[in-house]
Amino acid sequence: MALTGMRGLSVFISDVRNCQNKEQERLRVDKELGNIRTRFKNEKALTHYEKKKYVWKMLYIYMLGYDVDFGHMEAVSLISAPKYPEKQVGYIVTSCLLTENHEFLRMAINTVRNDIIGRNETFQCLALTMVGNIGGKEFSESLATDVQKLLLSSSCRPLVRKKAALCLLRLYRKNPDVINIDGWYDRMSQLLDERDLGVLTSVMSLFVALVSNNVEAYWNCLPKCVKILERLGRNQDVPQEYTYYGIPSPWIQVKTMRALQYFPTIEDPNTRRALFEVLQHILMGTDVVKNVNKNNAAHAILFEALALVVHLDAEKEMMSQCVALLGKFIAVREPNIRYLGLENMTRLLLVSDAQDIIKRHQAQIIISLKDPDISIRRRALDLLYGMCDVTNAKDIVEELLQYLNTADLAMREELALKAAILAEKFAPDLSWYSYQFLHQFHIICSDIFQM
Amino acid sequence: MVRLYPNRCQLVGSAFISGFLISLVRSFIHFVILISRQGKVRLTKWYSPYQQKERSTVIRELSGLILTRGPKLCNFVEWKGFKVVYASLYFCICIDPDDNELEILEIIHHFVEILDRYFGSVCELDLIFNFHKAYYILDEILIAGELQESSKKTVARLIAAQDSLVETAKEETGSISNMISQAM
Repeated sequence: MALTGMRGLSVFISDVRNCQNKEQERLRVDKELGNIRTRFKNEKALTHYEKKKYVWKMLYIYMLGYDVDFGHMEAVSLISAPKYPEKQVGYIVTSCLLTENHEFLRMAINTVRNDIIGRNETFQCLALTMVGNIGGKEFSESLATDVQKLLLSSSCRPLVRKKAALCLLRLYRKNPDVINIDGWYDRMSQLLDERDLGVLTSVMSLFVALVSNNVEAYWNCLPKCVKILERLGRNQDVPQEYTYYGIPSPWIQVKTMRALQYFPTIEDPNTRRALFEVLQHILMGTDVVKNVNKNNAAHAILFEALALVVHLDAEKEMMSQCVALLGKFIAVREPNIRYLGLENMTRLLLVSDAQDIIKRHQAQIIISLKDPDISIRRRALDLLYGMCDVTNAKDIVEELLQYLNTADLAMREELALKAAILAEKFAPDLSWYSYQFLHQFHIICSDIFQM
Repeated sequence: MVRLYPNRCQLVGSAFISGFLISLVRSFIHFVILISRQGKVRLTKWYSPYQQKERSTVIRELSGLILTRGPKLCNFVEWKGFKVVYASLYFCICIDPDDNELEILEIIHHFVEILDRYFGSVCELDLIFNFHKAYYILDEILIAGELQESSKKTVARLIAAQDSLVETAKEETGSISNMISQAM
């Protein structure tokens, strides 16, 4: 599967790589840009094939970091090419080079629209992909209806429908009015019945966006979401190709749980029970396995489940299970899990009862404050800041100030700031506060004078 | 009582809590960047509007941040109020702070596995000389900064179909040129 066609492009890339230094590279690039500029000026004589070649070269040069301030017109014009290879390049390079408000995009709207409503499925896909990636408000106003039609059409193949779902999502983000809530009350519910898991993946992303803005309209979708989680959790009717290291579509599971976090409550006791069963299974049944990817996918689901449990303000028992799990996580060797453990513990602070249970892990969190990984140090700091109250303020502030001595530059400002806020908020008495303040002031001053 | 940082205190205090309560409407992948160990850009795809100059700044800043991280650290960095998940030879994906980091990490792996399948054990040279292919493939995996297709089999089939469309078109062009040159 080596180099395909376009010898000129490969030769150019080789030339650039063989340059001994930046100066040589710049010369070679400028030469090529000049060549392309000249060829583009003589547009009538340029075949689509040649245009395609030059447009790819332009993108390559752009990726090298050079300013490419011409040729956007040519890239966009390729969108109108009659044949697939050139059209494909037009669409892709346009979506790489141009941003949503670029004036040239406006000129392509008609061609794009024709591709979307036309009979050629591959052209539809190209158009939907580009619009989904860089469509702006104008595209939204012109195309949303047509894209919607494709998504809801039973005669469209899954390939087109899944792209239409995400394209519509983009257009909705740019202009929420394109989705008429009244019409979508039932449509969304039907879409969630989708059997094709590729389409369901895309549809679920669309659903998360819709429900985040307007929960009332989508209550009937709640039980469907729980059913989806049940089905995937039991690995029921899941084709092999959608099983990721043995886990049935982890991404759909995560997205569905994300969607459920927008519903303030679950009224129906049956649905609530079913959901808690699923969550309990995830909380208790996620083991640490050797395979990194399986582990990541399983824990991606676990952490989203944790967030959902917190949101549902579940029974105290489930909450303690969550904190116990997190307490385990913040002490493991795996840095990703340590990071996420600290982050999720911080989220748990929003739940009133959890604070006391979390405080039991204070010692481990303070160890994390000095972790070799700055990402973990930051999470530890946030957590300490959040879990600080009258009972542990003195200890925590003293730890922070002590650490300030040896902390790296990137952390110091935030450390000092947080320590100051906590000291002020919880100062047991004036003398303690003055001491902390002076101590801190001393450190900051010595920093300043050393710089 | 002496107030150290009066207004900023309140700002920081409230921002800390409200950070977790803000609606997630804008929660999606903002961009994907692939940089080599030497900081060379192999692929960039922007799902949020970043102007040319901003893009260069982003690449420069993230390269500095990520390339200097040691091997035993976690795959997440915090940058400008966003999170960047990165992995193997520096595929970097920028997300919002409340997004699910491990899910994104596995999207990177999913992408790499598909590239592996397509190129037959992908290496950096493949991505350099066939960067256009990498873009085609990425467009079958992500749209609007969201996962589009999680079946490797389906993506492989789609790319193969695209390849054969291109081959067919080339043959047609070739045969027409032949006809013309023979006729002359």
